[in-house]
Amino acid sequence: MGVIDLDEVEVRLAGRVVLNDLTGELRGQAIGLLGPNGAGKSTLINTLLGFHLPSKGKASVFGLDTHKDRAQIRGSIGFMPENDSFIGNMSGVRFVRYMAELSGLPSRLALERAHEALFYVGLGEVRYRKVNTYSLGMKQLVKLAQALAHGPKLLILDEPTNGLDPVARQRMIQLIKDIRQEGSIRLLISSHLLRDIDETCDEVLILKNGRIASLCNIEEERRSNRSFIELETVGATERFSVSIRGLGCECAIFPGGRIKLVIPENIEARDLYVIAAEQGVQIRRMNQRRDSLEDIFLRAMDNEQGVKEQGRTANGSL
Amino acid sequence: MAVYKRNYTAYTGTVTPVWARVLVLARYAFEEAWSSKITVGLFIFCLLPCILSLLVIYIVDNPVARALIGGRGPETLEIDARFFLKVLATQSWLALVLASWIAPRMITLDLADNALPILLSHPISRFGYVFGKFIALFGSLSLVTWLPCLLLFVFQGYSSSQPWAMSNLQIAIGLMAGSVIWIAFLSILGLALSSWVKWRVMATGVIFAAVFVPAGIGAIVSAVLRTRWGLLLNVPVMMSNLWQRLLGAPESIDERFSVPTLAVAVMLSLATLVCVGMLNKRIRAREVVRG
Repeated sequence: MGVIDLDEVEVRLAGRVVLNDLTGELRGQAIGLLGPNGAGKSTLINTLLGFHLPSKGKASVFGLDTHKDRAQIRGSIGFMPENDSFIGNMSGVRFVRYMAELSGLPSRLALERAHEALFYVGLGEVRYRKVNTYSLGMKQLVKLAQALAHGPKLLILDEPTNGLDPVARQRMIQLIKDIRQEGSIRLLISSHLLRDIDETCDEVLILKNGRIASLCNIEEERRSNRSFIELETVGATERFSVSIRGLGCECAIFPGGRIKLVIPENIEARDLYVIAAEQGVQIRRMNQRRDSLEDIFLRAMDNEQGVKEQGRTANGSL
Repeated sequence: MAVYKRNYTAYTGTVTPVWARVLVLARYAFEEAWSSKITVGLFIFCLLPCILSLLVIYIVDNPVARALIGGRGPETLEIDARFFLKVLATQSWLALVLASWIAPRMITLDLADNALPILLSHPISRFGYVFGKFIALFGSLSLVTWLPCLLLFVFQGYSSSQPWAMSNLQIAIGLMAGSVIWIAFLSILGLALSSWVKWRVMATGVIFAAVFVPAGIGAIVSAVLRTRWGLLLNVPVMMSNLWQRLLGAPESIDERFSVPTLAVAVMLSLATLVCVGMLNKRIRAREVVRG
């Protein structure tokens, strides 16, 4: 049983299909939810929270149906919404206590956990101030504190670094990493910032136009992906490219002597210099990099047919 | 997790039953409503007629007190259904004032700060949310309606020289039923209208308008169509009819202003359904934007 199971999930809102035929099993400790604006990330989160009823298929969290067992699911989930969502007239500690009590904590324990959660996220000193006097970063943190206070099994963070300055963002990322490391909470992090997902997640679900464009384990994907090299050359570029293809490299030639190639595991950059020297080609610049989440994301975005054809497209493109 | 450690640990303690979460909402809404000094001031103001009524009952039932004020009392005033009808009507209209102040505090703050997604992501349903707020508002209004009215009834039963309470039990039942119907209606109306108006002061005005503007329209309808059915839009007249019949007070209302009890019940039910529809439309974790 995965953390989240999607079985041909279709969600219609106002007569429009927003999520279409989502099927997959998410098992990671920290799952990233990526996609451009309007891809369906927030709709998927709302469906998991039981706010939207799938018009087709079934979604489940920890094996519980998101519609039938939504009360049970919500009890074991901590949700940090994307936009401002709080009761501004309350002090931070009262707000977090209120949310913890709604999740089922007895009043006294809820107060205790509220204090602890606010200290944990770094709002201990301002916990008696009204929430509407908090800065944007503090508001994000108080939303995280309320999501954590009742000790959820799954923490859903919708754009957690939204609107944060670099220091606050780094602090938020570090908190998410700490929570992940602690190990008792699974994380589902929705973001359109690849760097956030790259730093915090081990599995990623990429959505595009309401469909799954890619579902992969980031670490495994990185391990299996190949090295990319970009070259700027002067000389007989065509002949050089034929020779390096002979080594088993895939390459594409661009105007101005630029070559992009994917090299197999057994080929080193040194081999390219050897061939270039033999053929009198000068390598003026060499840029080598591993496949990043950005590449995975861009490939997924290029893939019109979705996850079924992802493998084929990825093999055939640079 | 201990504060000094500042690291996260999961919660492994007991959790309260799901039904108790509604009471959490009610408790916080109640605290929010009563945290305002204006609420406390209004509450005291709403109790003044009850204190006055208490004095009247005391004077009527106490020969010494009557003698002190010149022997007037039973001849001019009798503690009966008509007396309690006046008390109930006064308290009920004061309850409208209190409701129009409290109801917006309970909902508009949540809506203004977009708190619904975070509130409803907890194990509480939309019905539970509204019900929790309803309990808090109903409870607050009870403090100025049926509770003081019944206390007055008990005091009259206690201070009357004859066995009074048992022979006038219908008054107590009428006070209770009339108050409960009115404050339940006020609560749902207040919550529904507050959920659509984010500005608190405006919401207060809208609640008053919802009670009195249809009365004016009803009067126009009655005058133009030469019918009395326009009174079904007149909440004050409808409620006066209902309270009078529930308390068993003699008919004091002009025949032209009398409406059948069934019609009153149907109108109140329809208005309540409209309010429920308004709440159902508005109390959502997410808005679906069409188009």
